[in-house]
Amino acid sequence: MTERSCNHLVMIVDDDHDVRESIAEVLEDNDYEPIAAANGREALDILRADPNRPCLILLDMMMPVMDGWQFRALLQQDPELRSIPVVVLTAHAHLPDGGDVVPMHFLKKPVKLDALLSSVARFCPKA
Amino acid sequence: MTGSVHHAIRVLFIAASDDVEPLLAGLRDAGLEVGSLVVRDEGELRAALASETWSVIVCAEEAAGLSGHDALRIVQANAPATPFVLVSRSGGEAAAVEAMRAGAQDFVLAGDRPRLVTAVQRAIEEADSRPGDAAIAQNLEFLREVRDYAIFVLSPDGCVWTWNDGAHLIKGYTAEEIVGRSFECFYTAEDRANGKPAAMLRRAAAEGRAEEESWRVRQDGTRFWASVVITAVHERDGRLRGFVKVTRDLTERRRQDELVRQSEERLRLLVESVKDYAIFMLDPQGHVATWNSGAQNIKGYRREDVLGKHFSIFYPPEDVELGRPERELEIAISEGRYEEEAWRVRKNGERFLANVVITAVFDDAKRLRGFAKITRDLTELRRIQEEANEAHLAVKSRDEFISVAAHELRTPLTALQLKLQGVDRALKRADSGPGHELASRLADRIDGALRQVERLGALVERLLDVSSIVGGTLQLELEELDLLEIVERVVEDLREPAQQVGSELRIHGPSGVAGVWDRARIEQVLINLLSNAIKYGAGKPIDVTVQGAADAVRILVSDQGIGIAADDTDRIFTRFERAVPVRHYGGLGLGLYITRHIVEAHGGSIKVSSRAGQGSTFIIELPRRATLRDAATDGAESAQ
Repeated sequence: MTERSCNHLVMIVDDDHDVRESIAEVLEDNDYEPIAAANGREALDILRADPNRPCLILLDMMMPVMDGWQFRALLQQDPELRSIPVVVLTAHAHLPDGGDVVPMHFLKKPVKLDALLSSVARFCPKA
Repeated sequence: MTGSVHHAIRVLFIAASDDVEPLLAGLRDAGLEVGSLVVRDEGELRAALASETWSVIVCAEEAAGLSGHDALRIVQANAPATPFVLVSRSGGEAAAVEAMRAGAQDFVLAGDRPRLVTAVQRAIEEADSRPGDAAIAQNLEFLREVRDYAIFVLSPDGCVWTWNDGAHLIKGYTAEEIVGRSFECFYTAEDRANGKPAAMLRRAAAEGRAEEESWRVRQDGTRFWASVVITAVHERDGRLRGFVKVTRDLTERRRQDELVRQSEERLRLLVESVKDYAIFMLDPQGHVATWNSGAQNIKGYRREDVLGKHFSIFYPPEDVELGRPERELEIAISEGRYEEEAWRVRKNGERFLANVVITAVFDDAKRLRGFAKITRDLTELRRIQEEANEAHLAVKSRDEFISVAAHELRTPLTALQLKLQGVDRALKRADSGPGHELASRLADRIDGALRQVERLGALVERLLDVSSIVGGTLQLELEELDLLEIVERVVEDLREPAQQVGSELRIHGPSGVAGVWDRARIEQVLINLLSNAIKYGAGKPIDVTVQGAADAVRILVSDQGIGIAADDTDRIFTRFERAVPVRHYGGLGLGLYITRHIVEAHGGSIKVSSRAGQGSTFIIELPRRATLRDAATDGAESAQ
C-alpha cells in the first residue's frame, strides 16, 4: 500500500492557486495523487511531517516565503529527501545546475499537458 | 648772399649753334665769372641737368629738335629751382606772358643782347635773393623720391610747376606730361564744372591753406579718395608766389574704414536682430546703454523706455534690497564675468527664470568701459525639459506595464491551458462510450479554445520578448546547431498553414551549415519571417535559402507578395511599426522588431530587399559563432 501510494504521489509547489489546482486536476484525471504546497517552506513542512514520500516534485521557482532555489538547497541537505526527483517549471530552457546530487529536470512554461504527463510518467511509472 | 655774385656762375645754353660767345662776353663785361655748356637736344639737356646744378638756363626757342616749351617742362621736372630765360625770335606780349605763366623767369627777343645780359643777371640775383624759394626748391628736390605723398608746387594760377615720385604713382602722370599744365585735371568733371579747383586756390590764398578729403581723378580716369592740403607760399613782400600741394591716396584706408564700418554695422544688426537672447550693454555704473529686440521680447521694455535706466529694474524688489545687482557687477569686474540662473522681472511685473551672464568690458588701457549682459528666458526651455522628462517617464512606465502585464498574464494562461487540455483529454477518452457524439463536438470546441489560448500565449511571449529587449535582458542559450535542420523543422511546422493559403514552402541550400546559436531564438526568427511571408505573400511560393561561408551564414526568406515600399524598409524593424494598415493585417507590429534584436544579439544583421508589389526578401547574416553582446550577458547573470 505504501509502495503503491509512493508511486502515485506527486507534489506540486507553486504559489499560484489556479495553477496548482489545474495541475492537480489533470494529475487526478490520470490517476495520480497530488499534494499541493504554496511555497518551499510549506512543501518542506509537508515532506518532513508525512512519511509518504512523493515520487516527484513539480517545482515553480519564483515564490514568496521560500523560493524554488532555497527549497532545492534545503532538499539536497536532507538525506531523507534528497533522492526525490524534482522537475522545475520555468520559462527559461536552462537554469544553472549547481552540481546537485540529483540532476534537475525542466518543463518549459506555459506547461503543456502532454509534456507534463510524460514527465510525471517517467518518474512515477504506473504499475 | 651778397657774395654770391662773385661766385663763378654756370650757364646752360639750349641752342642750335655754339655761337654763344657774344653773350658770354657781355656777362664777363658785367663782371661775372662765367662757365658754360651748350646742349642741342633733349638727350643732352637731360644729361646736363643730371650732371650738375646750373645757375641759369638760357633757351633759344628754335633750338634744334626741342621747342622752348618742351625744354621748360623738362627743366621744371628735373631742376625746378633753376631760373629759365627764354630767347624767342617771335616777340609779342602774349608769347611773353605765356612763357612766364609756364614758369620761365624771363623772356627776351632774339638779338637784344644787352637785354639778355640783364635778364640773366637778374634771374641769378633773384634766385640768390629768394632764400625761401631756394629752400622750397631744395626741399622739393629732397622730397622728389617720396612715394606715399604727391608733393608738388603750383603757380599762383594753378599750373603744375614741380612733380615728385609720389605724385606720379598716385596720379599716374609723369613730370613731363603734367608740368606746365593746370592742376584742374586732377578734379572730377563735376568739381571742375562747379569751379572747385579755383575755389580751393582762393581759399588757400585767403586763409593760408585749404584742406579736404574728396574724390580725385587719376590720369587713366579712375577715381581715388584723396586727402588734399594746399598751402599758399608768399613772397617777402606778401605777393602770392604759388602753392605747395600735398595729396595722399586714402582709397585703401577708406576701403578698410568702410570694411570696419560694414563689419560693425553687421554686428550691430546681428545683435539687434537676435530675438531669443537679450543682449545689451551697461555703462560702468550699470545704466542701460544699448538694447536689442531680444531684450525687448524678454523684458518687455522698448528701447526708448529703457535706455539710461539702471539695470536693477530687471531684478525682483527683494534682490534689489539685498544689493544683488551691484554685487553681481562687482563680481563681474573682479572675476571677468558673472553667471547665474535666477528670477527676473518683466516690465509687466511678471517673473521669469533667466540665465544671466554679465561680462565686464575693459579697454586697452584696462579701464572699465561697461558690461555686456546676455539674458536668456528659461521658461520655455524648462517647459520643454519637463515635457521630455514626462514623455520619458511615460514610455518607461508603459514598458514596465507591458512587462508586468505579460508576466501576470502568463500564470492564468498556464492554468487555463492545463484545464482545457484536461477537459479535451477527458472528452476524447469518452469518445467511444455512450454520448460520444456530444463528446466529439465538445472536443472540437475545446480544440478551438486551445488554439486561441495558444495565440494568446504567443502574444504574451512577444510582449515578454520586447520587455527583455527594452530592458537589455534578452538572453541567448547557445549550442552547436545545424542550420538546415532547424530550417527544415520550422518549415515542416508551417507547411500546413502555408498550404491553407495556397503557398508552397521551398528550401534551398546545403546541409552541414553548422554554427553556435540559440536554437529557440533562431526558430523564432524563422517562424516570424515565414509567418510574415505566408501572411503577405499568400498564394505564391515562398523560398528559404541557406548559404554558408567561412565565418558567417546567411538565410534568405523570399516571398512574391505585396512587397514593401522603399520608405518603409527601415521603419518595419522598429517597435509597433508595420508597412500596412492595421485593419487589413493583424498583429502587434513586434515580430520584425524582435527578429532584428535576436539577430543582433547573435552579432548578426538583418535587412530587407523589396519593392512594392514585387515581393520581399529578408536577408539574415549570422556569424558562425554568436558573439554575445553585453546586454545578453547581463541578462544571463541577472537571471541567476
